[in-house]
Amino acid sequence: MLLIHCPHCLEYRDEEEFSYGGEAHIVRPLEPEALNDQEWGDYLFFRTNSRGVHHEMWYHAVGCRRYFNATRNTVTYEILETYKTGTQPTIVGAKQ
Amino acid sequence: MSNAIKVESPLNYFHGSFNKSSASDSLFNNQVDCDLVIKEAPLSAHLNLRGDANDRNFCAAVAEVLDVSLPLQPGTYQRNGGSSIYWLGPSEWLIVQEGADPASLEAALRESLTGHISIVDVSGGQTCINLRGTAAATVLKKSSVYDFEGWDGATANSGSVVQTTFAKASAAVSNRSDGSYDLVIRRSFADYLAQWLLDAGGEFGCRIEQG
Amino acid sequence: MSANRLPTHTGATIDFTFNGRALKGIAGDTLASALLANGVDVVGRSFKYARPRGIFGHGAEEPNGIIQLGSGAGTVPNLKATQVELYQGLEAFSVNGWPSVDVDIMGIIGAFGRLMPPGFYYKTFMYPKKLWMTYEHFIRKAAGLGATPVKDDPDSYDRLNQHCDVLVVGAGPAGLVAAREAARTGARVIIADEQSEFGGSLLASKQSIDGLIARDWVASLVAELGAYSNVQMLPRSTVFGYYDHNFLTILERRTDHLGLTSAHQVRQRMHRVRAAQVVLATGAFERPLVFAHNDIPGVMLASSVSTYVNRYGVAPGNKLVLFTTNDNAYQTALDWHQTGRDVVAVIDTRRDPCGDMVVAVKALGIDVIAGHGVIEAQGNKRVKRALIAPINEAGTEVIGAVRVLDCDLIACSGGWSPAIHLSSHTGAKPVWDENIVGFRPGESKQQERSAGACRGTFDLAGCLAEGATAGADAANCSGHGEGSTQFPMCAVEAFEEQPQQALFLVPHSKSTSRAPSQFVDFQLDVSASAIELAVREGFESVEHVKRYTALGFGTDQGKLGNINGMAILANALNQSIAETGTTIFRPSYTPTTFGAIAGRDVNNLFDPERYTAMHRWHMEQGAEFENVGQWKRPWYFPHQGESMQDAVDREGLAVRNSVGILDATTLGKIDIQGPDAAEFISRIYSNSYLKLAPGKCRYGVMLKEDGMIFDDGVCACLGDNHYLMFTTTGGAAGVLAWLELWQQTEWPELQVYFTSVTDHWTTATVTGPNARKVIAKVCSDIDLSNEAFPFMDWRDGTVAGIKARVFRISFTGELCYEVNVPAHYGRHVWEALIAAGEEFDITPYGTETMHILRAEKGFIIVGQDTDGSMTPADMNMDWVVGKKKTFSFIGKRSLRRSDMLRENRKQLVGLKTLEAKTVLPEGAQVVFDAKQAIPMSMQGHVTSSYYSANLGHAIALAVVKGGHSRLGQIVHCPLADGHTIAAEIVSSVFYDPKGERHHV
Repeated sequence: MLLIHCPHCLEYRDEEEFSYGGEAHIVRPLEPEALNDQEWGDYLFFRTNSRGVHHEMWYHAVGCRRYFNATRNTVTYEILETYKTGTQPTIVGAKQ
Repeated sequence: MSNAIKVESPLNYFHGSFNKSSASDSLFNNQVDCDLVIKEAPLSAHLNLRGDANDRNFCAAVAEVLDVSLPLQPGTYQRNGGSSIYWLGPSEWLIVQEGADPASLEAALRESLTGHISIVDVSGGQTCINLRGTAAATVLKKSSVYDFEGWDGATANSGSVVQTTFAKASAAVSNRSDGSYDLVIRRSFADYLAQWLLDAGGEFGCRIEQG
Repeated sequence: MSANRLPTHTGATIDFTFNGRALKGIAGDTLASALLANGVDVVGRSFKYARPRGIFGHGAEEPNGIIQLGSGAGTVPNLKATQVELYQGLEAFSVNGWPSVDVDIMGIIGAFGRLMPPGFYYKTFMYPKKLWMTYEHFIRKAAGLGATPVKDDPDSYDRLNQHCDVLVVGAGPAGLVAAREAARTGARVIIADEQSEFGGSLLASKQSIDGLIARDWVASLVAELGAYSNVQMLPRSTVFGYYDHNFLTILERRTDHLGLTSAHQVRQRMHRVRAAQVVLATGAFERPLVFAHNDIPGVMLASSVSTYVNRYGVAPGNKLVLFTTNDNAYQTALDWHQTGRDVVAVIDTRRDPCGDMVVAVKALGIDVIAGHGVIEAQGNKRVKRALIAPINEAGTEVIGAVRVLDCDLIACSGGWSPAIHLSSHTGAKPVWDENIVGFRPGESKQQERSAGACRGTFDLAGCLAEGATAGADAANCSGHGEGSTQFPMCAVEAFEEQPQQALFLVPHSKSTSRAPSQFVDFQLDVSASAIELAVREGFESVEHVKRYTALGFGTDQGKLGNINGMAILANALNQSIAETGTTIFRPSYTPTTFGAIAGRDVNNLFDPERYTAMHRWHMEQGAEFENVGQWKRPWYFPHQGESMQDAVDREGLAVRNSVGILDATTLGKIDIQGPDAAEFISRIYSNSYLKLAPGKCRYGVMLKEDGMIFDDGVCACLGDNHYLMFTTTGGAAGVLAWLELWQQTEWPELQVYFTSVTDHWTTATVTGPNARKVIAKVCSDIDLSNEAFPFMDWRDGTVAGIKARVFRISFTGELCYEVNVPAHYGRHVWEALIAAGEEFDITPYGTETMHILRAEKGFIIVGQDTDGSMTPADMNMDWVVGKKKTFSFIGKRSLRRSDMLRENRKQLVGLKTLEAKTVLPEGAQVVFDAKQAIPMSMQGHVTSSYYSANLGHAIALAVVKGGHSRLGQIVHCPLADGHTIAAEIVSSVFYDPKGERHHV
């Protein structure tokens, strides 16, 4: 049961108020039509599945209905930071 | 066909589901002393408002129409008499005006507000329930993971509000200056939540008052 | 009074029964203390060999006294007698022992114990495989795992979500002072302890603290804590799990000790605690000594004997032999001596014990035999003799003659093992410490610290000092108070203690494999020789040996036997205990009832039931309901004597021949406003909405990025920059989240807001050739003519006096008006429509008829006819894909992936059974060649199937490989019962293929 700081509600809230949104900062191709099947498939189906630091989206579904990003250690489940959509994480890199 | 227009609150059926002359007697007996009193508020205008909190004109116009300032701090509400504005999100508020006609309130707001905004009448979709009594805080703890004890007390004009999970549904919970709590819940979940509250309050003794 | 009750101990008498036998105890007893007071030696049988077993411990570590409490609906299996408080009328039964504890068929097997090595069941009963079920039945019955209640539990349970700054786990000396230090800072403190009273080990202690007897000191501290409004004290509350982000669960037993059932009282409550900081003060378990036949009733832990004597006034025997490796246990000899009963001797494995306690014991004239061990206990259902012998300094060999001591009680102590379970739950890896001969908590993975015995600090002064520091630190870390402890150090008498001996297996004159069984894990009958055998068979990892031998697998989770077992394993592997490591403890710390976990989410509260404004009306009409998501929707409205088929036949005919009415409130509805609303919606749906004018509606399909259909519905333009989107009933929340996802994360430049209005609107669908006439009777301000208000338009108007939105959209293929009003007026308008339709015999219909009517038209239901792998083309709905859209709508690129162009994709078709009345089962597989040998080539499956009264034959929708080019072909559906149904592939539109009826 994670405790997640919502950057919009400005407080820690229980995991059950949120839903997971998958990996963050995936760049959607601006011109999908220009891609071949393999390129499009890479965008569509492949994710980094990091061990350690991972940037991911969360949706405060039962709260403010805002999506935001979290930097989470996938080994320890520690959430290192949360930040608004459209901004960049301050913590990056391979941390165990 | 009768011409009389029948209006039904979300908890209308729930109230009707008890045989008030029999076993559940005490639930409706105002004389009974109990630690939890559940009361549905009278029908009111509920409008969902969206707009840019950084737009001063927008904030000022809302305050002008409702005579209540728009709460900009997360998790708070502002109230003036029967008009309340609850913060729901960074660009989202719930306006509740007791006894008002939602259509005219919406019209008044649309008259004053400009730019990218949204006003949606949700009056039919939700209802407000007040929980009072010494067991109210414990019943909240049974129902929701939110830390209500962390709130400062409310005044007559402002207080705290949170949208969170409530049993297996959700609610916008806020505090009142008299120590009681208001729950704004969705109509379709109203029966479930009322049953939940009765069950959770059972060990303390509880009573229902109709709005 | 009972044989073993000390005359100094008095109290109110409590009647109870054990295995049907009427017994008496005293208020304050546990079931275990009462059984011992009554001289009940055998309380159960062991799991594998069915050996008679007696009470061994006094708390959560108890491996033998596993009982079934009560016999009615509220019966609970697998409780520990040591943790069950006695109450008037308590009924308890042994869980092990078939057919009875005293006469035990398995006891015969027990006599051949040597024939059941580890892995015995795996090795013996696996072959032949088909007999496993027979074996398993017998094994389970013989194993006696307790009985599951067969009736509904009459008690109520619930959950409480708690938040605190400091959670203190355990209210022994360390926990109590920790709570006090935290409390004075103003921090919100919760202190929980599994026992009925706070005090932990102090409840049975004769030491004094600050000049008070331990018990009195506890009482004064508890009173002090009670005066703080910021402290919540939870006795009878076991912290059983420690999860991510300092989330802990506590099981509070509120009425179990009263033995009553009341609908208004909560029997057990699960506290779900989010703590900023945690102090673990969970104490330690005394470690038994492993010697031959150490499981005979009458062998007990030394601290347990002291606890029964000091706390419960019960002397569980007459002639005590104390067997120890340490000074601490000498207290038991002192306590026993005070009862006036005989201390036969103290057997100490060390060469020359001479600590303060040893001196005190010797001063009483008690015989202390050093350098010896009890190598074997003898007796049948009770200890009769202890065999003692001198052992070498390493404790590995018997080095002299065996002597026999007559006794009926052997108290043993191999030192103490910290209770590191909760620390382990956090992921901290336990660390072996030679000095304390035990595992200490590893590096903390959460906001917690351990204090006292669970950290390996066993002396009282040390526990008190550590507790105080931990409490202050926890408060500080949660943002309360400053600096370290504030209360003065507690004053306690100090004893000089000599080091203990690390001894995990007491040698026998015979080798381990030849000696009588030396039990390590009592509950699962794991002996020292079994562990050694596992090593000889090639097992090396502690986790593998655990699973192979079942060491630590019982409901006691190896609290007693694990350390000895691991040490024996390390020895057999010729490595250190640190190298061998320990198994990982996981929640739950002790067994937890399902009732407490379920809480109030049972019966009618198990899952929310969502109702529309007309729900009560439907009930009054005798509707049968169907669950659609959490909604209760009318399924069909049977008349007196009608079968379901009769009802849906009647309802379907009524719609096509006159008029029907459906409660369509549950469809998701999303209000969309903003200057970029049209652009946004056009990117979300596969078709374009840019040119949709106010007053118009359009049907659209939403795709995921992979091109697969995930929702569908109508979207109406309400005004400039204002739209209303209908979603499927089940998809409402998911679609809203989907819209928010794309707006917030991908296209924040598009100005558009979304608001759910599902609950606000009530929708009554009036459909059939007479629909217009019905609406006309209750609506005078809309021109209902087909010219003025054509199909796929909507109008504002007044229906039955209420402002309404009326949509001309149709899911039946008939003339249709969907009347939307705010839900407060839902039933009013519904009843007005019913009244208006009376002359046309307006027929309320449910979801079943809705499904049939739409299937007659070949309209898909997302999630029934699609399964997340279907594109619009697969559904023969290419027309809904906007080929000319400038912006790449979601999913567009995927529609030309090579796999989408495959000719043998499963495609939606109609199936018409050759036998007109035969309805295919939904889910039936489709094959092309009915005579093909098994395994047959499966070519598709039936997605929807009904009998259509309007058509007079069965209809089905199916997805079939290459189906669109197979019209007219015959396919076969082989069924599970062996027969096969043949059907012809036809168009999926069975009724009114030109779509003329809804345009009238």
